[in-house]
Amino acid sequence: MTHVWAQASLWLGLALVATLLSIWLRIATALSEIVVGIVAQLVLGAVAGTMALGADESWIKFLAGTGAIVLTFLAGAELDPKVFRAKWKEATAVGLIAFFAPFFGCAAVARYALHWSSQSSWLCGIALSTTSVAVVYAVMLELGLNKTDFGKAILAACFINDLGTVIFLGLIFAPFTVRTLSFVVGCLVVFPLIFWLTPRFFRWYGNRPSELEAKYLLLLLFGMGALAAWADSEAVLPAYLIGMVLAGIVGKDHVLVRRLRTLTFGLLTPFYFIRAGALVSVPALMAAPLVFIALLAGKMGSKYVGVYPITRIFGYVKQEGLYTTMLMSTGLTFGTISALFGLNHKLITQAQYSHLVATVIASAVIPTIIANAFFLPRYLLPRRTDDRTPGEAAPAPEPVAVAK
Amino acid sequence: MFKSILVAYDASKASAHAFLAALDMAKQLHANLSVLSVAQLPEPAAMVESSAMLELAKEHYEKDFKRMRADAQSAGVTVETRVMVGHAAEQIVHYAAQCKADLIVMGHRGGSRVREWLLGSVSKRVLSYAPCSVLIVR
Repeated sequence: MTHVWAQASLWLGLALVATLLSIWLRIATALSEIVVGIVAQLVLGAVAGTMALGADESWIKFLAGTGAIVLTFLAGAELDPKVFRAKWKEATAVGLIAFFAPFFGCAAVARYALHWSSQSSWLCGIALSTTSVAVVYAVMLELGLNKTDFGKAILAACFINDLGTVIFLGLIFAPFTVRTLSFVVGCLVVFPLIFWLTPRFFRWYGNRPSELEAKYLLLLLFGMGALAAWADSEAVLPAYLIGMVLAGIVGKDHVLVRRLRTLTFGLLTPFYFIRAGALVSVPALMAAPLVFIALLAGKMGSKYVGVYPITRIFGYVKQEGLYTTMLMSTGLTFGTISALFGLNHKLITQAQYSHLVATVIASAVIPTIIANAFFLPRYLLPRRTDDRTPGEAAPAPEPVAVAK
Repeated sequence: MFKSILVAYDASKASAHAFLAALDMAKQLHANLSVLSVAQLPEPAAMVESSAMLELAKEHYEKDFKRMRADAQSAGVTVETRVMVGHAAEQIVHYAAQCKADLIVMGHRGGSRVREWLLGSVSKRVLSYAPCSVLIVR
């Protein structure tokens, strides 16, 4: 066990460094963990050999995989069912356009400009199709749009967009055999059942020190994940769907969500994101920088084509629409999950994986930098007085807490 | 002269001094006092982490606000507290315009040059864009 403990301390040391960097630079922990993973693999690879970090050890794979599953579940559980029920038509329309435009656009760039195989190109389309709900939500809060009909519809649309990503990731590469059918039937039976059973079960046996809720949820996630993997699908697909199904139950229980977050951020996701970074080949990136530029241009261009017209239709003025469109081009977590799925299932090579992860990171960072440099504060400040015309109906930002 | 004073509070020592200075001014000038804290999310905002940070920020500031409200009450000053989300400077300037503040009071944190280069100085940005007078408390 000495080797395992030593390796665990190395990984948690890296996680600690990544967390400190994220605090000092005010960047997302996931982003900093991926970058630390890339640098650690590069340095340790040069000093102690490529296997020193041990990214392919089975226990690291298990913790990393569990991190992806639980994080995806928590992301699904953030859906507001009331908003979704009220706005499902608009949300579905916008979400599907925001998914399909970059999906086909990036797949076309990979296939016809970079001459990737058809499977690699589809995987590329999926990895770059995502929209970060968190980024859009943060923008909505800043602009005060989270309480408006438009804001609610866009937020729900982001869930649909990510749902599209997860469903395509889970099913597009599936062999469509009896196993696939069993998985779909299993989902159709289990989801309504847990929707009925979970609140009752928690009411009867929950709120005890034995953490029954966490065990129950992990059982569900692992069980459905196993079924998905047996059907050659992806475990994050049922995890996201379970999160959405239980959003009104688990999402409302702040204490439970907080306990799950402690488990996720404290132990699981560092393994996932550092591993995702460690598998990136920097030499492959350096050897073909144009690939990365082409993919990034494909992602941002296709998001622009898909999302910007919608923001205009919904009454955003030009700069507001551009700002939102750029920030909707980010998708760090699901982008990384999709790329890693492709690498694990040998749908893409390590060089292609490296280019995809680099594009995912750049698509998360560059729009934020551009938006901050060119749209803030010149964009926000003069316009956020009371001089809006009726067509520019974005209200003042809502405070998240007020007291007198 | 100053009838509506806004304090930008970020839980630092400097901003605590700024609050005390503003409270003293509000008491002498019979002015209304508002305290604004801004929860700045990491960039790019990542799923689950952002919601967690938002919750923590609300709880954290609410504890300090409780103490501030007690201080203000004993000084006979009306105080309104709120937490907003976004970039600190933009939200402070915007809220100052929204609540028609005559004066923004904020602390000077004196961050390192590297930090300032990477993140920008909130007080400099507020000074550049504020619609009213700004007092930086050291």
